[in-house]
Amino acid sequence: MNSFLEVKEVRKAYGAIKAVDGVSFNVGPGEIVGVIGPNGSGKTTLFNSILGQIKPTSGHVAFCDEDITGMSPLELSRRGVGRTFQTLQVFVKLSVRDNLIAAAQEFKGTLVSRLMAEPDAGLGEHADKMIELFRLQHVAHLPAGSLSYGQQKLIDIAMAFMPAPRLVLLDEPCAGVNPSLVDQLRELLVELNKSQGGSFVVIEHNMDFIMKLCPHVICMVEGKVLSEGPPATVQANPQVLEAYLGN
Amino acid sequence: MNTQRKTLLLAAGLALVAIAALFAKRSEVYLLTLTCVYLMATFGLNLTVGYAGQMSLGQAAFFGIGAYIAAIAMKAGVPFLVVLPIAAVACFAVGLALGFPALRVQHHYLAFATLGFNVLIFLIMRNEEKITGGTFGISGIPRPSLFGYEFSGAVPFFYFTFVSLIVLAALLWWLLRSPWGRAFAALRDNPIRAESLGVNITAYTLLAFAIGAACAGVGGVYYASLVEFIEPGPFHFSTSLLMLLAVIVGGSGRFMGPVVGTIIIILLPEFLRSSNVEWLKFMQKWYLAFFGVAVIALMIWLPGGILSFGDRFKKAATK
Repeated sequence: MNSFLEVKEVRKAYGAIKAVDGVSFNVGPGEIVGVIGPNGSGKTTLFNSILGQIKPTSGHVAFCDEDITGMSPLELSRRGVGRTFQTLQVFVKLSVRDNLIAAAQEFKGTLVSRLMAEPDAGLGEHADKMIELFRLQHVAHLPAGSLSYGQQKLIDIAMAFMPAPRLVLLDEPCAGVNPSLVDQLRELLVELNKSQGGSFVVIEHNMDFIMKLCPHVICMVEGKVLSEGPPATVQANPQVLEAYLGN
Repeated sequence: MNTQRKTLLLAAGLALVAIAALFAKRSEVYLLTLTCVYLMATFGLNLTVGYAGQMSLGQAAFFGIGAYIAAIAMKAGVPFLVVLPIAAVACFAVGLALGFPALRVQHHYLAFATLGFNVLIFLIMRNEEKITGGTFGISGIPRPSLFGYEFSGAVPFFYFTFVSLIVLAALLWWLLRSPWGRAFAALRDNPIRAESLGVNITAYTLLAFAIGAACAGVGGVYYASLVEFIEPGPFHFSTSLLMLLAVIVGGSGRFMGPVVGTIIIILLPEFLRSSNVEWLKFMQKWYLAFFGVAVIALMIWLPGGILSFGDRFKKAATK
């Protein structure tokens, strides 16, 4: 099996508007793939089409040789597919620690066994390790909603990795994050890639971040793949420069 | 406040209520018992609304279903300990069914869907005379008896209800501290993210309604035994509104919220109405107006409920 995630000719149209127009790409096991493109190029719609948030108009998505096109986010999460969203998506009233435990507890046991399980579902130690990795110890017991945007973003990302997913799609992980945290975030993702061995697909506007993190980059414009390959090749492509900077 | 101090405070409060019942007048014991009965329903509603974030204006319907099951079954000679699980399971099943609209609609749309359910149940109680006695109701409902002891007196029945309430509250506390409680909170705070993290939002939404309904059904059984006569009036949707008010006034999503809210909703108006304190005597005529103004003021200044006062105070202190 060469392809872990296979996206084939995915299209999503809203009436006459083609938000995603025949996008195909493959992601191998343990690979980190970056997706770049100007605003409105269809990156998030592509993510949502892969992840069951919206149903693609046509095309196929396969994960580990299984057709997952149109599967619900719940079914995908059970197959080891995780994600983060473009906007913050934490459980605001739960503590940071509880956010992390909530992110993984549903993968342990059955509905009934979870009722009988200990309060931390046996995930307390794992959550504490993740809190340490993301340097959130000093706020671990505070409600997530009371923290700064950057801290919530870190929680958001840590939550996606709590169940040790086999594939994670990260939608703009650096958005709104303090520049000093961006390098830390990149190091964290590299470390998680090594320790958990999962594959990542990352949408990002921060070019420096994506070029350093991803050995393979896809550039989308107007719903189509404009260019793909190693970061330096994509970056040097005149069409990509034109799409970003104009003539 | 640490856990040990909280536990001690709670134990002291419970002991105080238990001792007070010995010295209270019969009417006061009745009010205390009524508060316990309503608390069973509002504890359940707090799980549905406060912890799982599902709006419900149908709690009085489940309260009524429990009461009618108890009235009919106990009059037919079915023992209380058999009636109780039957009512709880019946309300759990109906609650599961009521949870289905919540899978499609939320917020005020869901409020109206559950309100419609309450109206439907109310009409059945009023119009199905052969089963429910219609507006004439059902009288002569016996008090429970356990192992040959009949809880016929006001004080023994209060203690029986009080202990039952503590058991129900302990069960809910255990449930909310389990991973289920965290899943309910995840569903309330962010259902889209919850689903992407493997939380079965269909199952938890239905469970939130069903468990909340079962608690109200249990409350209804005790209510029927307390008043010994039931008719549809107390199960009108206005009671659902009152129960929701109790949860919100006390502090929705806080375990002790319904306790504070139910005491205020049930006991405060009675206290104001019957007060013999000289400077409070004007309240005998104005107690409902005062109650209304107090609720409006509370919703403006403390929308998180009375128990959110501490948090607000802390926030103000850190600014």
